[in-house]
Amino acid sequence: MNKYLKVILLIISFSLLQISSSYSNEEEFVSSISYDEIYDPLEPINRAVLNFNFFIDDIAIRPIVKTYKFIAPEPVEKGVSNFFNNLKEPIRTVSFIFQGEFYKSFNSIGRFTINTLTSLGTFDLASRVGMEKNETDFGITLAKGGVSSGPYIVVPIIGPSNLRDFSGDVVEYFVDPISNNVPNREYIAIGNGLNERAEIDEQLDRVRDTSSDRYEMIKSIYYQNRNAQLEEEYIQNLPVPKIYIE
Amino acid sequence: MKKLIVLFCVFYSFSTTYASEVTAWFENESNQFLEIINNNEGTESENYERYKFFINKNFAVKSIAYGLIGENIVEKSSQNELSLYVEVFTDYLIKTIYKLANSNSSSSIVLKDVDIKNDIYIIKSQINDKKSSASLYWKVIDTGSSYKIIDVIVENTSYFVTKKSEFNKILRKNRGSLEALVKEIAKI
Repeated sequence: MNKYLKVILLIISFSLLQISSSYSNEEEFVSSISYDEIYDPLEPINRAVLNFNFFIDDIAIRPIVKTYKFIAPEPVEKGVSNFFNNLKEPIRTVSFIFQGEFYKSFNSIGRFTINTLTSLGTFDLASRVGMEKNETDFGITLAKGGVSSGPYIVVPIIGPSNLRDFSGDVVEYFVDPISNNVPNREYIAIGNGLNERAEIDEQLDRVRDTSSDRYEMIKSIYYQNRNAQLEEEYIQNLPVPKIYIE
Repeated sequence: MKKLIVLFCVFYSFSTTYASEVTAWFENESNQFLEIINNNEGTESENYERYKFFINKNFAVKSIAYGLIGENIVEKSSQNELSLYVEVFTDYLIKTIYKLANSNSSSSIVLKDVDIKNDIYIIKSQINDKKSSASLYWKVIDTGSSYKIIDVIVENTSYFVTKKSEFNKILRKNRGSLEALVKEIAKI
């Protein structure tokens, strides 16, 4: 049953990518993208899902995260974060191979080996010896392969994404060498999700406090962060006010 | 060949002079900013006044305000509408920066690099507290008499770009009404 589910989900994700490519503007990937014109045909549904996510967050996830952050000493919090980040190194290794980034691929697997053997991943010794973490995922791999982002979507519980990145996440879930080879992978997924939520806790509080339209703010932040991973001169190319007025 | 070397030296000395000027300005202002962030002893209104002073002194508030709504809206709005908008936006900018900064106590802002592109200085720095650190970029212009900040980018998230998305949405929803935008941002 599980195998059938995998096949079906893979077919769905690839067909969604096909739709995404035909929908969206090719130039969107080469992202000196106008941030206020992000392709968002599903906005009414997305807004409803975002409200649902905030509701679930308010009643369940946020209290857990706040309690965890209150109780857990700083080193424990850091160790848990390192542990879950370390589990992503093998899939990063695979992603970098697909991107043709072989040096980064070796770096990722090297980091995984060092950190797992020395502390089960709870301490990032590899960074201390000069093997810095490089972020990537299958969404980035697809983007570098020329797949456009497709429509912006807000996934229930998970949060902001777009069709390309979400498809990448689905593929990643099934080809990840770690989670495919451990029992009760769901627990790892839940733990990882809670850890990621804890890592952005302060940012989410700021969104609640400083936004005049939190949907737009989250969408903009999501695209800015993704583009930063794709563009080399991202900071330099960000739009700025055109003229100076006294 | 000699001329080329002389020309290079002149150009290099000019560029390093400008870079050192903006660096000195940055060191001074970032230290003041740290003092404001870390000074929690005053009342809320006293802290707010400190932020207000810092932002009015160092931010190109009007440029940011006009840049956020775009040329079309600026052109079709009356002077009174624009003045009211700039006034409300200034308060909004102070409050949002205050809320963004107030949740942290930072121990240092370390200058990493200064770059220049299209007459805009891009100052790369790192803000550290006890728990973590974050990359912090400042886009700064030289107005002739002083340096002014036109954007702040924290961990790849630009204040200008984020607010432009929000403001554009509000304007589009209200058929380009600046009055509606003013009402909306006054709620913060």
